[in-house]
Amino acid sequence: MTGPSATRRRPRPASVALGALAIVLALVWAFPVYWMLNSAFLPNVVLQSTSPTFLPFGGSLDNLRHVVTDDHFTSALLISLAVTLLTVVAALFIAFLGALAVSRFRFRGRKSFVLALLLIQMLPAEGLFIAQYKMMSTVGMLNSVVGLTVLYTAAVVPFTVWMLRGFVAGVPVDLEEAAMVDGLSRTQAFLRITFPLLAPGLVASAVYVFLQAWNEFTIALVIMTDEQSRTLPLWLRGFIQASASRETDWGQVMAASTLVAVPVIVFFLIVQGRMSSGLVGGAVKG
Amino acid sequence: MKRTLAVAAGLTAGTILLAACNSGSDSAATSSTSGTADNAGKTITLWLVGSDTPDALRTYLTDTFHAKTGATLKIEEQTWPDLVTKLTTALPDANNTPDVTELGNTQSPTFTNAGAFLDISDMYDELGGSNLLQSFVDAGTVDGKKYTLPYYFGSRYMFYRKDVWQKAGVSVPTTLEEFNADVKTIAEKNPNDIKGFSGFFLGGQDWRNGVSWIFANGGDLAKKEDGKWVSTLSDPNTLKGLAQLQDIYRYASKAPGDAKDQSPWLYLNDSDVVLDDNGKPTKQKTSMNAATIMAPGWAHWSIGDLTTKDGKDVRAWNDKKFGTFVLPGNDGKPAPVFAGGSNIGISAKSKNPALAKDLLRIIFSADYQKKLGGAGLGPANKEYVDSLGTDQFAKALIESSANSKLTPAAPGWAGVEAAGVMEEFFGKIKDAKDLAALAKQYDDKITPMLNQS
Amino acid sequence: MSTRRGSRLPLLLIAPSVVVLVAALGYPVAWQVRTSFQHFGLRQQFGQPPDWVGLDNYRALLRDPQLWTVVVRSIAFCIVCAFATVAIGGAIAVLMKRVAAVPRVILQVALLLAWAMPVVAAMTVWVWIVDWRRGILNWLLVKVGIDGAAGHNWLAEPASFFAVAAVIVVWMSVPFVALSVYAGLTQVPQEVLEAAELDGASGLQRLRFVVMPLIAPVLSIVLLLQIIWDLRVFTQIKLLQDAGGVVNETNLLGTYIYQLGTGRGDFGTASAVSIFMLVLTVVLSWYYVRSLMKEES
Repeated sequence: MTGPSATRRRPRPASVALGALAIVLALVWAFPVYWMLNSAFLPNVVLQSTSPTFLPFGGSLDNLRHVVTDDHFTSALLISLAVTLLTVVAALFIAFLGALAVSRFRFRGRKSFVLALLLIQMLPAEGLFIAQYKMMSTVGMLNSVVGLTVLYTAAVVPFTVWMLRGFVAGVPVDLEEAAMVDGLSRTQAFLRITFPLLAPGLVASAVYVFLQAWNEFTIALVIMTDEQSRTLPLWLRGFIQASASRETDWGQVMAASTLVAVPVIVFFLIVQGRMSSGLVGGAVKG
Repeated sequence: MKRTLAVAAGLTAGTILLAACNSGSDSAATSSTSGTADNAGKTITLWLVGSDTPDALRTYLTDTFHAKTGATLKIEEQTWPDLVTKLTTALPDANNTPDVTELGNTQSPTFTNAGAFLDISDMYDELGGSNLLQSFVDAGTVDGKKYTLPYYFGSRYMFYRKDVWQKAGVSVPTTLEEFNADVKTIAEKNPNDIKGFSGFFLGGQDWRNGVSWIFANGGDLAKKEDGKWVSTLSDPNTLKGLAQLQDIYRYASKAPGDAKDQSPWLYLNDSDVVLDDNGKPTKQKTSMNAATIMAPGWAHWSIGDLTTKDGKDVRAWNDKKFGTFVLPGNDGKPAPVFAGGSNIGISAKSKNPALAKDLLRIIFSADYQKKLGGAGLGPANKEYVDSLGTDQFAKALIESSANSKLTPAAPGWAGVEAAGVMEEFFGKIKDAKDLAALAKQYDDKITPMLNQS
Repeated sequence: MSTRRGSRLPLLLIAPSVVVLVAALGYPVAWQVRTSFQHFGLRQQFGQPPDWVGLDNYRALLRDPQLWTVVVRSIAFCIVCAFATVAIGGAIAVLMKRVAAVPRVILQVALLLAWAMPVVAAMTVWVWIVDWRRGILNWLLVKVGIDGAAGHNWLAEPASFFAVAAVIVVWMSVPFVALSVYAGLTQVPQEVLEAAELDGASGLQRLRFVVMPLIAPVLSIVLLLQIIWDLRVFTQIKLLQDAGGVVNETNLLGTYIYQLGTGRGDFGTASAVSIFMLVLTVVLSWYYVRSLMKEES
């Protein structure tokens, strides 16, 4: 993530001011995240006071410990991980094939396909889930990780195809063919030449899919009816509701929110180097 | 009526009760109709909502059910905010419906009218008959047939700061008008000089508590006229109550205009820990913000002085500082309050109606009814009300519920609640220049909704 | 673009997408279209046969003043949020391009953290930040001398409710836009900029005449996505409504459909509103969709 023009040789007052502005913006954007982390370590009695405590001194891991030992936390974490990872893999694979078709071939129905992808993006989901429940129940897929994965995959495939098509188009066909002339098999040529060029696009799409699947909770609420098959957002919502029915324990609620956020942040840290360049390649090159 | 009764109450009281009376097993009410042998592999599901039913009672249900029928009882906990969504999707679905489910008493008419529940009129007498709380039974009755029956009841009464009331020079009121004047006095005098202090903390959208002023003045939310439901907010008696509420909102309560009935007890307690600007604990400031609140009985577990028990911060009720009273009416009787609580019924799509009926027999048995009372939940069957005990909370619960009322049993009432119309209406009372016109406007809005199913 | 392989292959390649879309959405969408022509309430959900009412639901809908209020409100909210997000995100991207490595990385990490926050978790934090009594926002306002802010309730009035909602939505969406546009900026060839500088173009001129045209495709696609996403914003509004606010004065299309369907059990009308909303989105983005489809052919 380096912008070549960013390094200027002479630091000018203007660039110092801009640097300060960047830091201020960073603080603004990070503040809610910081506030959550800070509160996760503080006991509720401190949080309930009318003047805020900015640093978690004298805090403890009690909130986090309480949350981790909650009955359903571990199973929710496992289910969320399973659904999210399955969705990422399935959506990327399916969308990649779709993107390949759209960007490398002209065929009858291509235009309708692209238009359909765009329209599906615009479909309001709030009206659909009664019917989605009926359908999943009829095919016996309620409370099923696979069932939820199918619904999530369908929800993200349209945009993922959009994102990937520019990347696929951006990989020169000649390059791959030249490699084959040099004696590589089609698979080898794909793996060694095309795939590395696609990696940023795949990573960016994976981030999008990961976030969508990890965060979704309306469909999950309807489809995952068993306590044992709740996803993390459902669990978090239940945790907050249970807490609110007595006296909301903000420390615990923030600890629970933190735990839901951690896997996403870890995932981001792993992929961040490749992500940014990939975010937009599709649009630029498309 | 969402979330109504005991949370922490159950945990403590339930255990005590278990220790006190060894759970009898030979109750007359549990004459099983299905043999135990052929049930071995069967499982039925019971949905309980919220954590109101304590763990000890859940264990009792599963154990007793297994002993009586040989089948397995699976209890799943739902949450109040998502219950309607869950009932709407799962109840019509024979493969996934809970066999028996709890639901809010005010949600019952909508679902019974839609045909969601099994007709259990034949069991009515066996389960307690006329001893069952009548208003709840009505909420589960359609055309004379009984579909859902009461599970437990609760009601709302007042919690107040004895110290503040005394400092302001007022004493526990005996009529509603006295109450209205008292809380206004407290807010004006503000004896502890606290910013934004409420004599009585009533959220702007808190219609579930506020409706008592309508009831106490002889008003109501709706009535049935010539087979049609009509909203009665602009009825003269209702308007009298609304005017009193407006006065409270303007002069006695400093609660936010959009507050509903969530955790008002926060404002009654002294501060948990008050920190000064350097983060050091201080004694000057306080986060106490109200002299009086109205809340369901189980709120008393969240009210009191802060102490530490087993390393956890808990509230210990302090009789010197805190007190309870039942909101008085103007006729010497308690003012009618909303009857909180739940109904329970068998899904029309249940594949094991015989076993589901066995479960109801256990729930309505003397044993279980007494356990509910022991946990601070008002038992469905009047005969066992004594099991609530004799402390001030039990007394206040029994006394306030004696005169309690339900929301209109109109088929569209749940729709009115779901659309948040009552919250909207109550939120406008404080600043209304012409209450009658406002009430009329909402009557026109609500009446067509009431008859929609 | 080539047609070098047989005409079957592309169809095979899109087959998985089509299959998964039809499997997951085919029945629900068909159900929704059918239900929008029926009187379908809770009784029908519990098995009674629905009545066909033709266009009645739509007719009732178009005459319902509440729907139009919600529509106008949704469009206004969507436009404000989408343009604010793209403007702020674009500005941050330009800023990142201009500043030294250290502040840039700090800003990027902050944006990533905000982006990574799960919606339910983020909403919980925000609700607490604007809490009337213990929220840090009011505390801060009092500190800077605005005493009236003590105990001020931000969610009670629709105007401030939407201000809070807009801040949250923009906060959540800016990272995606900023990082996308920044990535677009890094692809602007350095030589072009330097040539422009040599020709005497000022910073603003370079931005206006060199950079903007080059990243215009990125800006327009993120703007389209923001418009589509902000028009169907649901979770944020729902969770804010749960925390406070007057539901009927703060509904946007998403929560309105949810309230009609699940809340009141009027699935016929809810379906009609859904279809209406789809049409509305198409109309709003028609210009862009058309130009996009022209490029396709």
